[in-house]
Amino acid sequence: MNSPSRKRGWDLHERMMSHDSTATFDVFMTFMGPLIRALERNLGCSYDEANACAADAVYAYVRHPERFDASKASLSTFLTQIAKHKAQDSYRSSTARNRREQDPRTIFEVHPPAPNISLEERVDIKQRLDRLVQRIEGAGLPERDLAGIRVIFAEERCSMESMAEALGLSHLPQEEMRQAVRRHTDRLKKILKRLCKEDLDDES
Amino acid sequence: MTNLDWLKRAAQRSTTEPGLLGQVFATYQTLEHCSPEALADELGCNEQTLQMLALCRKPTGEVFAEQVKAICERFGLAPLALVNVLRQVEIMGEMETTAANDSGRGVARLQLAARDRSRKDKPTP
Repeated sequence: MNSPSRKRGWDLHERMMSHDSTATFDVFMTFMGPLIRALERNLGCSYDEANACAADAVYAYVRHPERFDASKASLSTFLTQIAKHKAQDSYRSSTARNRREQDPRTIFEVHPPAPNISLEERVDIKQRLDRLVQRIEGAGLPERDLAGIRVIFAEERCSMESMAEALGLSHLPQEEMRQAVRRHTDRLKKILKRLCKEDLDDES
Repeated sequence: MTNLDWLKRAAQRSTTEPGLLGQVFATYQTLEHCSPEALADELGCNEQTLQMLALCRKPTGEVFAEQVKAICERFGLAPLALVNVLRQVEIMGEMETTAANDSGRGVARLQLAARDRSRKDKPTP
Protein backbone atom coordinates (compact mmCIF):
# COMPACT_ATOMS: atom_id res chain seq x y z
CA MET A 1 0.00 0.00 0.00
CA ASN A 2 1.29 3.48 -0.88
CA SER A 3 1.68 6.20 1.72
CA PRO A 4 -1.51 8.21 2.21
CA SER A 5 -1.99 11.17 -0.13
CA ARG A 6 -1.39 14.77 0.85
CA LYS A 7 -5.12 15.43 0.51
CA ARG A 8 -5.99 12.54 2.83
CA GLY A 9 -3.52 13.86 5.41
CA TRP A 10 -4.88 17.37 5.11
CA ASP A 11 -8.47 16.17 5.62
CA LEU A 12 -7.45 14.20 8.69
CA HIS A 13 -5.57 17.15 10.12
CA GLU A 14 -8.64 19.36 9.69
CA ARG A 15 -10.69 16.80 11.58
CA MET A 16 -8.00 16.58 14.29
CA MET A 17 -8.18 20.32 14.78
CA SER A 18 -11.97 20.17 15.18
CA HIS A 19 -14.04 18.31 17.79
CA ASP A 20 -14.13 15.11 15.74
CA SER A 21 -13.85 12.23 18.20
CA THR A 22 -13.03 9.55 15.65
CA ALA A 23 -10.27 11.54 13.92
CA THR A 24 -7.58 10.12 16.22
CA PHE A 25 -8.66 6.58 15.37
CA ASP A 26 -8.54 7.39 11.65
CA VAL A 27 -5.04 8.82 11.99
CA PHE A 28 -3.92 5.50 13.49
CA MET A 29 -5.75 3.50 10.83
CA THR A 30 -4.32 5.58 8.00
CA PHE A 31 -0.72 5.91 9.08
CA MET A 32 0.34 3.03 11.33
CA GLY A 33 0.60 0.45 8.54
CA PRO A 34 2.57 2.63 6.09
CA LEU A 35 4.85 3.92 8.88
CA ILE A 36 5.66 0.42 10.11
CA ARG A 37 6.41 -0.77 6.57
CA ALA A 38 8.60 2.28 5.85
CA LEU A 39 10.65 1.71 9.01
CA GLU A 40 11.05 -2.00 8.28
CA ARG A 41 12.00 -1.41 4.65
CA ASN A 42 14.14 1.72 4.88
CA LEU A 43 15.78 1.42 8.29
CA GLY A 44 15.79 -2.35 8.69
CA CYS A 45 13.81 -2.18 11.95
CA SER A 46 12.24 -5.33 13.36
CA TYR A 47 8.44 -5.37 13.35
CA ASP A 48 8.33 -4.66 17.10
CA GLU A 49 10.73 -1.72 16.85
CA ALA A 50 8.89 -0.33 13.85
CA ASN A 51 5.55 -0.71 15.64
CA ALA A 52 6.82 1.10 18.76
CA CYS A 53 8.39 3.96 16.78
CA ALA A 54 5.37 4.38 14.52
CA ALA A 55 3.12 4.52 17.61
CA ASP A 56 5.49 7.08 19.19
CA ALA A 57 5.11 9.27 16.11
CA VAL A 58 1.33 9.00 15.88
CA TYR A 59 0.85 9.57 19.61
CA ALA A 60 3.14 12.62 19.46
CA TYR A 61 0.91 14.06 16.73
CA VAL A 62 -2.34 13.08 18.47
CA ARG A 63 -1.19 14.87 21.65
CA HIS A 64 -0.21 18.06 19.80
CA PRO A 65 -1.76 18.24 16.33
CA GLU A 66 -1.20 22.00 16.33
CA ARG A 67 2.54 21.41 15.96
CA PHE A 68 2.04 20.12 12.43
CA ASP A 69 2.38 22.87 9.84
CA ALA A 70 0.56 21.77 6.69
CA SER A 71 2.30 24.47 4.65
CA LYS A 72 5.69 22.86 5.21
CA ALA A 73 5.08 19.16 4.54
CA SER A 74 2.41 16.54 4.14
CA LEU A 75 1.16 14.80 7.28
CA SER A 76 2.63 11.57 5.94
CA THR A 77 6.11 13.14 5.62
CA PHE A 78 5.78 14.79 9.03
CA LEU A 79 4.91 11.51 10.77
CA THR A 80 7.54 9.55 8.83
CA GLN A 81 10.22 12.02 9.94
CA ILE A 82 9.21 11.69 13.61
CA ALA A 83 9.09 7.90 13.37
CA LYS A 84 12.52 7.76 11.70
CA HIS A 85 14.05 10.00 14.37
CA LYS A 86 12.54 7.78 17.07
CA ALA A 87 13.96 4.68 15.37
CA GLN A 88 17.40 6.27 15.00
CA ASP A 89 17.43 7.40 18.65
CA SER A 90 16.36 3.96 19.76
CA TYR A 91 19.08 2.32 17.62
CA ARG A 92 21.78 4.67 18.91
CA SER A 93 20.90 4.16 22.56
CA SER A 94 20.62 0.39 22.24
CA THR A 95 23.96 0.19 20.38
CA ALA A 96 25.69 2.35 22.98
CA ARG A 97 24.15 0.33 25.76
CA ASN A 98 25.15 -3.01 24.23
CA ARG A 99 28.67 -1.73 23.83
CA ARG A 100 28.83 -0.61 27.45
CA GLU A 101 27.39 -3.89 28.63
CA GLN A 102 29.97 -5.85 26.69
CA ASP A 103 32.91 -4.08 28.27
CA PRO A 104 32.80 -2.20 31.56
CA ARG A 105 36.08 -0.52 30.64
CA THR A 106 34.09 1.76 28.34
CA ILE A 107 33.18 3.60 31.55
CA PHE A 108 36.40 5.45 30.80
CA GLU A 109 34.72 6.80 27.67
CA VAL A 110 31.22 7.06 29.10
CA HIS A 111 32.29 8.93 32.23
CA PRO A 112 35.75 10.27 31.38
CA PRO A 113 37.92 11.59 34.21
CA ALA A 114 38.09 15.33 34.78
CA PRO A 115 39.85 17.08 31.89
CA ASN A 116 42.25 18.98 34.16
CA ILE A 117 44.11 15.89 35.44
CA SER A 118 47.54 15.07 34.12
CA LEU A 119 48.29 12.39 31.55
CA GLU A 120 50.05 10.33 34.24
CA GLU A 121 46.96 10.41 36.48
CA ARG A 122 44.77 9.53 33.51
CA VAL A 123 46.95 6.50 32.70
CA ASP A 124 46.92 5.50 36.37
CA ILE A 125 43.10 5.58 36.49
CA LYS A 126 42.93 3.51 33.30
CA GLN A 127 45.35 0.94 34.74
CA ARG A 128 43.40 0.70 38.00
CA LEU A 129 40.22 0.21 36.04
CA ASP A 130 41.84 -2.55 33.94
CA ARG A 131 42.99 -4.31 37.09
CA LEU A 132 39.55 -3.99 38.66
CA VAL A 133 37.93 -5.49 35.56
CA GLN A 134 40.40 -8.39 35.73
CA ARG A 135 39.50 -8.92 39.36
CA ILE A 136 35.79 -8.85 38.59
CA GLU A 137 36.25 -11.32 35.75
CA GLY A 138 38.39 -13.55 37.95
CA ALA A 139 36.03 -13.46 40.92
CA GLY A 140 33.89 -16.28 39.57
CA LEU A 141 30.71 -14.25 39.82
CA PRO A 142 27.58 -15.60 38.13
CA GLU A 143 26.66 -14.06 34.79
CA ARG A 144 23.69 -12.30 36.37
CA ASP A 145 25.94 -10.47 38.85
CA LEU A 146 28.33 -9.51 36.06
CA ALA A 147 25.40 -8.08 34.10
CA GLY A 148 24.37 -6.05 37.17
CA ILE A 149 27.93 -4.79 37.66
CA ARG A 150 28.04 -3.73 34.01
CA VAL A 151 24.96 -1.57 34.61
CA ILE A 152 26.57 -0.03 37.73
CA PHE A 153 29.66 0.76 35.67
CA ALA A 154 27.85 2.01 32.62
CA GLU A 155 25.19 4.24 34.14
CA GLU A 156 26.07 7.07 36.42
CA ARG A 157 22.76 6.64 38.25
CA CYS A 158 21.77 3.12 37.37
CA SER A 159 18.03 3.08 36.77
CA MET A 160 15.79 0.51 38.37
CA GLU A 161 14.58 -0.64 34.94
CA SER A 162 18.10 -1.25 33.58
CA MET A 163 19.14 -3.07 36.73
CA ALA A 164 15.97 -5.18 36.80
CA GLU A 165 16.51 -6.14 33.18
CA ALA A 166 20.17 -7.06 33.77
CA LEU A 167 19.31 -9.13 36.84
CA GLY A 168 16.33 -10.81 35.18
CA LEU A 169 13.84 -9.29 37.61
CA SER A 170 11.67 -7.39 35.13
CA HIS A 171 8.83 -9.89 35.46
CA LEU A 172 8.25 -9.10 39.15
CA PRO A 173 5.47 -6.78 40.32
CA GLN A 174 6.67 -3.18 40.64
CA GLU A 175 7.12 -3.01 44.40
CA GLU A 176 8.69 -6.45 44.67
CA MET A 177 11.01 -5.58 41.78
CA ARG A 178 12.07 -2.32 43.46
CA GLN A 179 12.98 -4.11 46.67
CA ALA A 180 14.84 -6.91 44.88
CA VAL A 181 16.78 -4.45 42.72
CA ARG A 182 17.76 -2.41 45.77
CA ARG A 183 18.90 -5.52 47.63
CA HIS A 184 20.97 -6.82 44.70
CA THR A 185 22.45 -3.40 43.91
CA ASP A 186 23.63 -3.00 47.50
CA ARG A 187 25.10 -6.50 47.42
CA LEU A 188 26.92 -5.87 44.12
CA LYS A 189 28.26 -2.53 45.34
CA LYS A 190 29.67 -4.29 48.41
CA ILE A 191 31.38 -6.84 46.14
CA LEU A 192 32.83 -4.03 44.04
CA LYS A 193 34.02 -2.21 47.15
CA ARG A 194 35.73 -5.37 48.39
CA LEU A 195 37.43 -5.94 45.01
CA CYS A 196 38.63 -2.31 44.92
CA LYS A 197 39.98 -2.65 48.45
CA GLU A 198 41.82 -5.84 47.55
CA ASP A 199 43.41 -4.04 44.60
CA LEU A 200 44.57 -1.19 46.84
CA ASP A 201 45.89 -3.66 49.46
CA ASP A 202 47.85 -5.57 46.78
CA GLU A 203 49.28 -2.34 45.47
CA SER A 204 50.55 -1.13 48.85
CA MET B 1 -7.64 -6.70 3.97
CA THR B 2 -6.13 -4.24 6.42
CA ASN B 3 -3.43 -5.64 8.67
CA LEU B 4 -4.22 -4.58 12.25
CA ASP B 5 -1.36 -6.31 14.09
CA TRP B 6 -0.41 -2.98 15.64
CA LEU B 7 -3.87 -2.31 17.05
CA LYS B 8 -3.61 -4.24 20.30
CA ARG B 9 -0.40 -2.50 21.40
CA ALA B 10 -1.60 0.92 20.36
CA ALA B 11 -4.77 0.35 22.38
CA GLN B 12 -2.79 -0.85 25.42
CA ARG B 13 -0.77 2.32 25.23
CA SER B 14 -3.89 4.45 25.07
CA THR B 15 -4.69 3.48 28.68
CA THR B 16 -2.18 6.09 29.84
CA GLU B 17 -3.05 8.75 27.26
CA PRO B 18 -5.21 11.52 28.70
CA GLY B 19 -8.03 12.48 26.41
CA LEU B 20 -8.46 9.10 24.75
CA LEU B 21 -11.22 6.61 25.45
CA GLY B 22 -8.56 3.99 26.25
CA GLN B 23 -7.82 5.81 29.49
CA VAL B 24 -11.53 5.99 30.35
CA PHE B 25 -11.91 2.25 29.70
CA ALA B 26 -8.86 1.43 31.84
CA THR B 27 -10.28 3.49 34.73
CA TYR B 28 -13.68 1.87 34.35
CA GLN B 29 -12.15 -1.62 34.34
CA THR B 30 -10.26 -0.80 37.54
CA LEU B 31 -13.35 0.62 39.25
CA GLU B 32 -15.59 -2.22 38.17
CA HIS B 33 -12.97 -4.97 38.35
CA CYS B 34 -13.98 -6.08 34.89
CA SER B 35 -12.02 -7.61 32.02
CA PRO B 36 -11.80 -6.19 28.48
CA GLU B 37 -14.19 -8.96 27.38
CA ALA B 38 -16.73 -7.90 30.00
CA LEU B 39 -16.43 -4.24 29.00
CA ALA B 40 -16.80 -5.12 25.33
CA ASP B 41 -19.95 -7.11 26.22
CA GLU B 42 -21.29 -4.17 28.15
CA LEU B 43 -20.74 -1.85 25.21
CA GLY B 44 -22.19 -4.39 22.81
CA CYS B 45 -19.09 -4.92 20.68
CA ASN B 46 -16.20 -7.34 20.27
CA GLU B 47 -12.69 -6.90 21.67
CA GLN B 48 -11.21 -5.61 18.43
CA THR B 49 -13.84 -2.89 18.26
CA LEU B 50 -13.08 -2.06 21.90
CA GLN B 51 -9.42 -1.58 20.92
CA MET B 52 -10.48 0.69 18.06
CA LEU B 53 -12.73 2.68 20.38
CA ALA B 54 -9.81 3.10 22.77
CA LEU B 55 -8.05 5.18 20.11
CA CYS B 56 -10.92 7.68 19.84
CA ARG B 57 -11.05 10.96 21.69
CA LYS B 58 -13.08 11.04 24.88
CA PRO B 59 -16.35 12.94 24.28
CA THR B 60 -16.37 16.06 26.40
CA GLY B 61 -17.77 19.54 26.86
CA GLU B 62 -20.60 21.10 24.92
CA VAL B 63 -20.24 18.69 22.03
CA PHE B 64 -20.44 15.61 24.27
CA ALA B 65 -23.71 14.32 22.78
CA GLU B 66 -22.61 14.99 19.22
CA GLN B 67 -19.32 13.16 19.80
CA VAL B 68 -20.99 10.18 21.45
CA LYS B 69 -23.38 9.95 18.50
CA ALA B 70 -20.54 10.06 15.99
CA ILE B 71 -18.61 7.32 17.78
CA CYS B 72 -21.67 5.10 18.18
CA GLU B 73 -22.69 5.49 14.55
CA ARG B 74 -19.19 4.70 13.40
CA PHE B 75 -18.81 1.54 15.50
CA GLY B 76 -22.42 0.44 15.71
CA LEU B 77 -22.85 0.90 19.46
CA ALA B 78 -25.85 1.76 21.58
CA PRO B 79 -25.18 5.29 22.90
CA LEU B 80 -26.60 4.54 26.35
CA ALA B 81 -23.96 1.92 27.13
CA LEU B 82 -21.09 4.23 26.20
CA VAL B 83 -22.62 7.17 28.08
CA ASN B 84 -23.00 4.98 31.19
CA VAL B 85 -19.30 4.11 31.12
CA LEU B 86 -18.24 7.71 30.51
CA ARG B 87 -20.50 9.13 33.23
CA GLN B 88 -19.51 6.52 35.78
CA VAL B 89 -15.80 7.24 35.28
CA GLU B 90 -16.46 10.98 35.38
CA ILE B 91 -18.54 10.79 38.56
CA MET B 92 -16.11 8.47 40.30
CA GLY B 93 -13.21 10.73 39.33
CA GLU B 94 -14.96 13.74 40.85
CA MET B 95 -15.99 11.83 43.98
CA GLU B 96 -12.52 10.46 44.54
CA THR B 97 -10.97 13.88 44.09
CA THR B 98 -13.37 15.32 46.63
CA ALA B 99 -12.77 12.42 48.98
CA ALA B 100 -9.00 12.76 48.61
CA ASN B 101 -9.29 16.46 49.41
CA ASP B 102 -11.20 15.48 52.56
CA SER B 103 -8.14 13.56 53.74
CA GLY B 104 -9.21 10.44 51.88
CA ARG B 105 -11.44 9.09 54.61
CA GLY B 106 -14.50 8.63 52.47
CA VAL B 107 -13.00 6.96 49.39
CA ALA B 108 -14.13 3.44 50.17
CA ARG B 109 -17.57 4.65 51.20
CA LEU B 110 -17.96 6.69 48.02
CA GLN B 111 -16.86 3.78 45.86
CA LEU B 112 -19.51 1.63 47.46
CA ALA B 113 -22.09 4.34 47.02
CA ALA B 114 -21.26 4.72 43.35
CA ARG B 115 -21.35 0.98 42.83
CA ASP B 116 -24.83 0.89 44.32
CA ARG B 117 -25.99 2.96 41.40
CA SER B 118 -24.48 0.68 38.77
CA ARG B 119 -26.07 -1.19 35.88
CA LYS B 120 -28.48 -3.04 38.14
CA ASP B 121 -30.25 0.22 38.83
CA LYS B 122 -31.10 0.95 35.23
CA PRO B 123 -34.75 1.88 35.00
CA THR B 124 -36.91 -0.95 33.80
CA PRO B 125 -38.99 -0.20 30.74
